[in-house]
Amino acid sequence: MQNEESLVHRAQQRETEAFAQLYENYFDKIYRYVVFKIGNRTEAEDLTQQVFLNALQSISSFKWKGRPFSAWLFRIAHNQIVDYLRKKTRQATTPLDKSTVISDSNPQLAIERKLDIEQLLLATKRLTKAQREVISLRFAGELPIAEVAKVMDKSEGAVKALQHSAIVALRKTLVVTNNDSK
Amino acid sequence: MTASKEFDNVLDECLERLLTKGETIEQCLQSYPEQAVELEPLLQMAVAAKKAVAVQPRSEFRAEARYQFHAALGEVASQRSRSFLGWFPRWATVVAIVLGLILVGGGTVSAAGYSMPDSPLYPVKLTTEQVRLALTPSELSKAQLSAELADRRIVEIIYMANKGDAQQVEAITQRLDERLIMLATLASTTRDVTQEGTKDGGAPEVLTLPSVEQPAPSPPEEATGEGDVRIETDERAKLRVTVARDAVNHPAALRSVLGQAPELAKPALRRAIAVSVAGYERALKALD
Repeated sequence: MQNEESLVHRAQQRETEAFAQLYENYFDKIYRYVVFKIGNRTEAEDLTQQVFLNALQSISSFKWKGRPFSAWLFRIAHNQIVDYLRKKTRQATTPLDKSTVISDSNPQLAIERKLDIEQLLLATKRLTKAQREVISLRFAGELPIAEVAKVMDKSEGAVKALQHSAIVALRKTLVVTNNDSK
Repeated sequence: MTASKEFDNVLDECLERLLTKGETIEQCLQSYPEQAVELEPLLQMAVAAKKAVAVQPRSEFRAEARYQFHAALGEVASQRSRSFLGWFPRWATVVAIVLGLILVGGGTVSAAGYSMPDSPLYPVKLTTEQVRLALTPSELSKAQLSAELADRRIVEIIYMANKGDAQQVEAITQRLDERLIMLATLASTTRDVTQEGTKDGGAPEVLTLPSVEQPAPSPPEEATGEGDVRIETDERAKLRVTVARDAVNHPAALRSVLGQAPELAKPALRRAIAVSVAGYERALKALD
């Protein structure tokens, strides 16, 4: 973290190499987070680029006050996604259908074998907003609980509870045994 | 602590171990045998979710985004330099900065390194590159540096093409061509040395064109000759991987801006694409 603090400090002094390094460190994570939030890879590309350009413009306003750089960057991404979704006049709301439900005699094996991002996205529509955000930041953004808590302005305990309930809900949505599906 | 909170903590600790430390579900369950029945299905769900979201950006997008971002960084660097260099005559600026580089180095090198052809620091960037090439001792290191400089030219072409400056695109394309010719020439002159050195231990493994996101392969384990030659062979293999990656990424990045570039810049951009394709093909042949 010390290393990142130093990188951020240098980036704030307009040292381009430091900012380029931060970009490389976070590019994939931000992209995955955006894809997972909006469910559209092409539009996620534009948004990801815009996140880093916005960060470049506003890096001087970032302050280390108990909030890590990752939380600041993901907050930019989150705000950008909110704007994007607000502007989007027509949102595709695909109902959860049979194809989302994974059925197998061994449901655990079935999940590992079959789950892809589209199915997972559909399943997350059943989660609360906060649960969805925890899953996005934790699994797509690869942030540790402490940083997820900073992004969401919640306590670590609250985020852990959300994480638990979100995984239980996903499992409930995605897994049915043969008996249930017949 | 309530049982529920305790379980939340255990679940999170296991997730951290699974997702970031590469441990297995079984290892976690062994640490918490009493909660194993409840934990196992949740950990399996989490691992499956993690795998599902592990999407990778397209290589063309990754390349284009990186170029666009570096171009934006270049603008930031040139804005910073304009603020204190604007009142200097151009020639005096160059002389002052080169002298400054020689005397103190540091921040200006970095700023010039990212400057674009329309920046007052750009002549410094080119001069610094020439100095670096002259000071680089081995032919192979010079080839590596040429590949790095070719990468910079691509960034500059995209930046100037987006600005519709066909003349600059032409000029940078010429510099790109020179770099790629130099790369191929240096690669072919170093070939005999490195191949001779591996005669006894067998020829170095020929690297096939890697997929764009593939990391550079580790050097083979067994020793094949003297240390210096071995290092040289490894470096050559690394250079081959870099050039193979650039041979895919660079023309792709140039093509990706062709559609949106101003009409005026398109013919120059097409020539840049042709030069990059031919140049990298030549360099790869020289490295085989």
